[in-house]
Amino acid sequence: MRAALASAALQRHPVRTLLAVLGVAVSAALLLDMVMLASGMRESFRQFLLIQGFQLRVSPKGTLPFDSEATIERAGWALATLRAHPDVVTVSPILGAQTHTLRGDSAHTAFAVGVDPGVQGDYELLRGANASAPDRVVANEAYLRLTGRRLGDTLDVVVGFDPQFRSYTGRRALVLVGVGRFYYTATNQAVLAVPLATLQAMSGAARADRVSLFMAKVRAGASVEAVRAWIERTIPKVTAISTETAVAQVEERLGYFRQLAFILGAISLVVGFLLVTTLVTVSVNERVGEIAVMRAMGVSRAHVVQQIVLEGFAISLAGAVLGLLLGLGTARYLNAILSDFPGLPATFDFFLFQPGAAWRSLGLLVLSGILAGIYPSWRASSLPIATTLRREAVA
Amino acid sequence: MMLLLALTAALAAAQAGERVPPGGALPGGALIVPPAPRTIAIDERLAADARLRVGDRVVLSAASGGAGDTVVVAAITRRGADPSEVARDEYRVRLHLDHLQALAGYGDRVDRFAVATTRPGATGRVLDDVNRVAFGFRAHRSADVAVGTSRTFQVVSRFHRAIGVITIVASAIFLLCILLLKVEERRRDVAALRLMGISRASVVRSIVLEALLVSLFGAALGTLVGWAGTLLINWHYQGVYRTPLTFALVTPGIVLFAVALSVALGVGAGLAAAVRLVRMPPLALFGR
Amino acid sequence: MTGDGGRRGAAARAVAGVQPPVAQPSSAPVPAVRAVALARSYPMGGEEVRAVRGVTFDIADGEYVAVVGPSGCGKSTLLNLLGVIDRPTAGSVAVRGRDVSAMSDREATRFRLHNVGFVFQRFYLMPTLSARENVELPMAEAGVGRAERRARALELLRYVGLGARERHRPSQLSGGEQQRVAIARALANSPALLLADEPTGELDARTGAEIIDLFGRLNADGTTIVVVTHDEELARAARRVIHMRDGEIVRDEGRGTG
Repeated sequence: MRAALASAALQRHPVRTLLAVLGVAVSAALLLDMVMLASGMRESFRQFLLIQGFQLRVSPKGTLPFDSEATIERAGWALATLRAHPDVVTVSPILGAQTHTLRGDSAHTAFAVGVDPGVQGDYELLRGANASAPDRVVANEAYLRLTGRRLGDTLDVVVGFDPQFRSYTGRRALVLVGVGRFYYTATNQAVLAVPLATLQAMSGAARADRVSLFMAKVRAGASVEAVRAWIERTIPKVTAISTETAVAQVEERLGYFRQLAFILGAISLVVGFLLVTTLVTVSVNERVGEIAVMRAMGVSRAHVVQQIVLEGFAISLAGAVLGLLLGLGTARYLNAILSDFPGLPATFDFFLFQPGAAWRSLGLLVLSGILAGIYPSWRASSLPIATTLRREAVA
Repeated sequence: MMLLLALTAALAAAQAGERVPPGGALPGGALIVPPAPRTIAIDERLAADARLRVGDRVVLSAASGGAGDTVVVAAITRRGADPSEVARDEYRVRLHLDHLQALAGYGDRVDRFAVATTRPGATGRVLDDVNRVAFGFRAHRSADVAVGTSRTFQVVSRFHRAIGVITIVASAIFLLCILLLKVEERRRDVAALRLMGISRASVVRSIVLEALLVSLFGAALGTLVGWAGTLLINWHYQGVYRTPLTFALVTPGIVLFAVALSVALGVGAGLAAAVRLVRMPPLALFGR
Repeated sequence: MTGDGGRRGAAARAVAGVQPPVAQPSSAPVPAVRAVALARSYPMGGEEVRAVRGVTFDIADGEYVAVVGPSGCGKSTLLNLLGVIDRPTAGSVAVRGRDVSAMSDREATRFRLHNVGFVFQRFYLMPTLSARENVELPMAEAGVGRAERRARALELLRYVGLGARERHRPSQLSGGEQQRVAIARALANSPALLLADEPTGELDARTGAEIIDLFGRLNADGTTIVVVTHDEELARAARRVIHMRDGEIVRDEGRGTG
């Protein structure tokens, strides 16, 4: 009966109810988006770092991977040393360099990663074959669009190109054998993957036996932190960071968004609460006469409160459900805006839907809707019956 | 160059606070005057973190742990409000050009020249002239470079705008809802006035006036809260990022927009609700 | 409402749900209502208004009492005190032998639910519920099962002559029909006492007469009724008339006949 009364009360003023539900929905959407933003960056970045399961990254001392043009020297020795550790399962060496693909007078820029195709964790092959021979190359779709080349084409690739002098440190004819999806490069950035030795040779003496980065996979059950510390002790002039540390560092840099998320999320919650409180208060004030009659009939205060709180709950629940759909939509839109950050890896998302966090935040909104109804309904049900009836009769 | 600037100024153990007067003595008593150390300027952040003061001596080198020059801190600079430096934790050291070229082994090279023309109209001509004869470099307008490097802020700006639109839509809905409720609360008053013989137009006018006053007052209060909010935001982020950059700004245009929108929505909602009420028979408003 | 009065009367009594009083062994029957020096004052505009000033009376089980008097004489206040929706400032009132004057809010609420039925001048039906649902409301509160309360609600509506209007909302009913629904609602939990405050106040003469007839029938079927009224016809239909003025009983006509 209480549910029937609550439902009937909401249907009595359909426009008002609809507006309130919409208001709560927008609050819920914004709250959900902010929760997705706050936890999304961290989780997305962690997932992104662990795509191929590499828990450690070894970069030149004081830098983050590809943060600068610095390189690690004596790469061959470092690689052998890393691989010799009993807890290290796989080590992927990577050298990054800017390349140009020449064709007639044109020169297309592309970022190249020199990798060991057998252990690399930078890309997944979508079609074709891997760059397993010195003169083979794998490219991404952005490269193909930029250059208009296709699988099987021979590319004239140079490193250290000076467009005015048309000089270079290294030049090779490479056969495009595969197309890959690169995890760590920006959207729409043209990327090539070539064998490490090829890129080192093309980069000249300055890059001989040097890499930009090692990625290391630690044996299951072994201590990642212990291996990390051992690396920094053993290999000079490097910084080894675990996934957790990298996540924390990036999170610090993107701390502004987390704070924004928290503030806007809190505001959404408060506004949603205020809206439901206002609606319930006005609705109750209009019905004091009815409430007094119910009390005169013998309906207990608690049951009157329950009925009215149900109204607030219904509005919040409907708003939360609608807000979920709205929030997912706006999150996609906002994510698309932020994904345009220069240099941001394509696989990185600012807004990530995590069911646990989402249900908790929406649950909090619904709870606030319930609480919003308690005070006004308790107040109304506590009014003296006789006085209220007399006042209503006079009115 | 960036690498050099980002590297720490290595501190010799006895450097901080040392003021060793130049000079010493050769056997036989003749005075040797070693060359005065070169001077550098460091930024506030480095000065604070490394506890350096003007007059302190430090060793500056191009490679970590490598041999370098002993220099004297001659000045402490404050960075400009450059958005591109906000999230970067780098320290900045300024040297004389020849000193840096020698230290970094750069030789007679620079990264770029910044050129100021005698008058704005001359910029185009200078640009063309330089590019015509340039060999191994190109000239660009500063404005074009700024556009190219400001993509990060364009993204942030678009994001803020999107959030702004969402919050405006949300606020509009809340405003409509609350004003509708407010007017509905007055239904008995409206009924009484109508029964007394007050015309519909008069009733609507009075409700709209009330809605206008509420909206104006609310907008004024909101502006005050928003302005206080910007103070808080700037205080917080300027501290976090150690920059004089202004993060949030309330401009007359923004205030005007916010007030105009609030008032328009408030008056609109009040008008809609009032018209709806006066259309109903007065006795129906009493609930009979 | 004539015809086989005996059988019909018994059935109607069952519908109206009249419960026999708690018989006290070898003593006078317990009155439906006993008021002793009952008083109620409240502050208004800085002054103390004595709405009811120390009235004492009994109402026997099955009596039909009208309380009359000029506006402001305290008759509605008296009704509220009998119905436990207001608390006396002095004196006591007992309903079916139970002192209700000092009950807590929770106790009073429970008591009203099972023992008192109210009928108001303005009907006060829930506008969003149908006639049947309005009648079911007190039963739902009392925990009666859905099927049972539905059946009883229909019975009560038939009793008041509205069996065919069970699905209508109050806005779809005339004033007289709304008041009948209100009466049926008041009878939902078979109360010991039916209290009516100006039940014909918003009705025309003909409709009012129908309500008066209904009250007569209810009383004939055993319901104890106390009405507050300005309506002379209604007062005449009652078997006992208590006249009030300035918060006091000035005349009590037809006393002891019930």
